[in-house]
Amino acid sequence: MTGLRLHPFTLLAIAGALPALAWILPAPVGGAWTAAVALALTLTPGASPGNTGIGSSPDRRPGFVVFRTAVLTATPFWLFLLLLHDVPTTIAIGLRITTMVASFVWLVAALEPPRLVEAMIAAGWSASVAYLLAATLSAVPGLKTRAQRIVEAQRCRGLSPRGGIPARLRALRALALPLILSALHEVDERALALETRGLVPGVRRTPLAPPPDPVLERAARWALLLACLAALVRRLIVASPT
Amino acid sequence: MKSLTLDHASFWYPATESPALRDVSLEVAPGEVVALVGALGAGASTLLLVAGDLAPRMTGGRLEGTAARRDRSGIVLPTPWTQVSGMAFTVWDEVAFGPANLGWPAHEISRQVDRALERLELVPLASRDPATLSGGELQRVIIAAILAMDPGLVLFDEPAAELDAEGACTLWRLIRVLAKEGKGILLATSALDALPEVADRVVWLEQGAVRAVGTPDLLAEAAACEAGLGTSVATVWRDSELPEPAPLTIIDAVRRWR
Repeated sequence: MTGLRLHPFTLLAIAGALPALAWILPAPVGGAWTAAVALALTLTPGASPGNTGIGSSPDRRPGFVVFRTAVLTATPFWLFLLLLHDVPTTIAIGLRITTMVASFVWLVAALEPPRLVEAMIAAGWSASVAYLLAATLSAVPGLKTRAQRIVEAQRCRGLSPRGGIPARLRALRALALPLILSALHEVDERALALETRGLVPGVRRTPLAPPPDPVLERAARWALLLACLAALVRRLIVASPT
Repeated sequence: MKSLTLDHASFWYPATESPALRDVSLEVAPGEVVALVGALGAGASTLLLVAGDLAPRMTGGRLEGTAARRDRSGIVLPTPWTQVSGMAFTVWDEVAFGPANLGWPAHEISRQVDRALERLELVPLASRDPATLSGGELQRVIIAAILAMDPGLVLFDEPAAELDAEGACTLWRLIRVLAKEGKGILLATSALDALPEVADRVVWLEQGAVRAVGTPDLLAEAAACEAGLGTSVATVWRDSELPEPAPLTIIDAVRRWR
């Protein structure tokens, strides 16, 4: 985060622990707490709007953009759940899904892939695995930028993404195909390019600037893990017949 | 040993019946600059991929014949934005990405990166975010990134495509300096006017095969000019039906006029 600049592993631990707790803790209270925490995290200054692929509005705090992205992404799940289940089940599962979505959106916004790579290399991971994980996390803003370029190109050729449902479907088809094809093509080129930059298995990469990993943060990560395990054990004991 | 030796190399991309390279034999000596010229689809980029041990290892396909290298090779691809790691906050970090992947000690990485940045006149941009650079600046960053890995054989695929005239001139001068240091250079380019000053040898590719090999004077010959592979001066000279031999460069033409 900008102010605190948490270690990338700490960010991953928080983003992993919240959804785990959401499913372990009894519904709906447990899910409500974890969803509240996850949504609150999206409002923290470290959640950069640039990483979500959604531009920030001048009249809104940057954190709100991430919050809005999380809410907008989670909303369709609530609608589907409402169609399939009764209200109590919808709330129970909806809060858990909201926790998952908000945690992931916050992670993508707050985690800087280069720092993650450096942290993983310093921890002894292979450079290829570290790059794969970091590239996956940075794929969202990359695809968003590419989609924006394609939409602009289609507009230049007279295809508007606005109008009725048929017009929007036509625009969506015109967006999806080039987006997928160009992404697949770039995978080939990028594989070649990374090979030329020495990213090959079997060589131990030199860490350039590994992020600091204070004892307090390491302890916090272990505490999160223990909290998840404790919650799981408690849940199993409580749920099992005596 | 030569920096690169291709011996009767033919290459087929996956699921294709006709080869992209046909029976190509070529040597690049340490300190030599060899330029590949040809029309689009002539096979120059494929030849670079084979020379850089990327084809068929990374691309798939089938290679017949042999491709041998004395040292590690480095290749500059024509699209800098796909060669960027995306894992660097600054230009310095971006250039250091390759050397770090090679597992070099930090002081050696630092030395090579600083040297590469100086050579490409990128020191003022060292702390900039690579995402904010122009295409030409990014191309220079990628060239610096490849040179920072200190390859013995440097392969350039249209390296001046994104550069302005000044940037291109800097690059051509740098290529001669690299050759002087003993690196083998294989260069695919459509910047034909630069080749008389840059290349020691020119290889004319046509449909994946070597049509002719010679000094840059080859680019003033009638056949090359007719195929669109003559230098501007030679082509204009021949189009104007001025007396043979056609000059290769502006300086040659001025001498002839006087």
